[in-house]
Amino acid sequence: MTDDTTPMTDGGTDEEARTDGGPPATVPPDDETPTWTERKEHSSGLAQLTYQYFERSRREDEDLRAESTYVERDVLGFPTWPHETIRNLAITSFFVGIMILVAALMPAHFGEPANPGSTPAIILPDWYLYWSFGLLKLNPLNPSLAVLGGNIAISNEFLGILAHGVVFGVITLVPFLNKGSARRPVEQPFWAAVGVTGVILAFTLACLAVQNFFPISLDLLLTLTFMLPVAGGIITYAVLKTMREGYMYDLNRRYYMLRPPK
Amino acid sequence: MSLKKQDDMDHNAWLKKQDLTVIETAFLTTLIWLDKRLRIVDYLELLETMYYRANMQMPKSHTEQYDLDNKFWYWYPLYSLGSLSIIAYLVAAVSGALLGFYYAPSTAGAAAQGDPTAAYDSLVMIMTDVQFGYMLRSIHRWAAQFMVAAVFLHMLRVYFTGSYKEPREVNWILGIVLIGLTLLFGFSGYVLPWKQLSFWAAQIGVEMALATPIVGEWAAQLLFGGFTLGQATLVRMYILHVFVLPFVVTGLIALHVGIVWVQGIAEPH
Repeated sequence: MTDDTTPMTDGGTDEEARTDGGPPATVPPDDETPTWTERKEHSSGLAQLTYQYFERSRREDEDLRAESTYVERDVLGFPTWPHETIRNLAITSFFVGIMILVAALMPAHFGEPANPGSTPAIILPDWYLYWSFGLLKLNPLNPSLAVLGGNIAISNEFLGILAHGVVFGVITLVPFLNKGSARRPVEQPFWAAVGVTGVILAFTLACLAVQNFFPISLDLLLTLTFMLPVAGGIITYAVLKTMREGYMYDLNRRYYMLRPPK
Repeated sequence: MSLKKQDDMDHNAWLKKQDLTVIETAFLTTLIWLDKRLRIVDYLELLETMYYRANMQMPKSHTEQYDLDNKFWYWYPLYSLGSLSIIAYLVAAVSGALLGFYYAPSTAGAAAQGDPTAAYDSLVMIMTDVQFGYMLRSIHRWAAQFMVAAVFLHMLRVYFTGSYKEPREVNWILGIVLIGLTLLFGFSGYVLPWKQLSFWAAQIGVEMALATPIVGEWAAQLLFGGFTLGQATLVRMYILHVFVLPFVVTGLIALHVGIVWVQGIAEPH
């Protein structure tokens, strides 16, 4: 911040990047406050280490703050009141209104009382659990997963539960596998393709859950359940790879020049 | 620290030197008296900082810095899905509290298999006798549907804009936990009316639990109150739905939003 001609990240200089003034961000300690060094001398062992680390991290903070070109300006976003608040109120009222409208137009269905003695012909959860119900119907795959001389290694029901574990596990791993600063799907067609595969898989699994409604054989349905997502993923990859060329100019101009790739 | 009185902190002497009106003197005397005991100045500074943070000193955001405003506003609806799920959650909470006034979690009253139970009858009562009861149940159910839909779409938005990336892994995992709990919310609520589909959905739940080795039977007993469905199942689902999950989910949502607040919104690039 000492050199006024240093260009800032937004292209300006320190001259225009000035705050309102006001007190310094850190309050200087008064005479009777023991410094970190003094506290450190009075302690030993773990406490001393802690103080040493605190001193280091505080110095690091100060250095970073001194080097930073972070700009604070007066009124750069919408004020909380009234702009932001009114907009949020409008969105909230609209959304709640839509919910009440839908609730009035399509009232909740109500069925027969529970009867442990008679199993209904079609058992289905709510729509948002169809994919999960579809995972429970993967038992035709079980024999092909058997490893020990054609014996079924796990029960059909447990296969479905394992499938849930696999789904949640894969989703959990995503941020640890995909790193870097790329944000748009065109920048990383592979991960966009993985996402599209997952979305289509959720839909095809839902179809598998309501298989009674499909007049096609179970084998074909199972094949489609896994082939359609893969096909969708490949198409996404191809389309994004093609689009990428068209995006290149714009990306280079406003993005990569400002934030060079690692 | 010494207990010795310090002269440069003699506020009363300073007060006497000033040329003040009676009102000003009274105000300052009161303020100094209170401040000596309660250190009000600290809280005033806090309030002042909060005021300026909210209204004046917005840091220059990424979208402004890179001139992406048009793109950001174009995609704005996708960026409001998180708040929409919270709004739907609040609507479901309010309508659910009202429904709770009339609902009875009991399987009593069925003379034979397939007869209406007390739980079922209380829902019939809500839908036919209670003023606006049908609408109330409808709103509760649709708020739940909207919440689940908003949560799923929110996850898709976060995935396809890469917002889960490096400093935000913890919040992504927290979001997965929240989706699981939302589905559990939906499932437990689905069981409560104790109609045919409720019963057989719970039956599938018990069978899933029992198919799991080692922890399965324990989980079935904890969640469903045994291996066959009955009064215990209904009460457990009820407590899960109206007591356990509301606290846990509300707390996790607060944490989820708090982490977003601390880390900043992952804006589009």
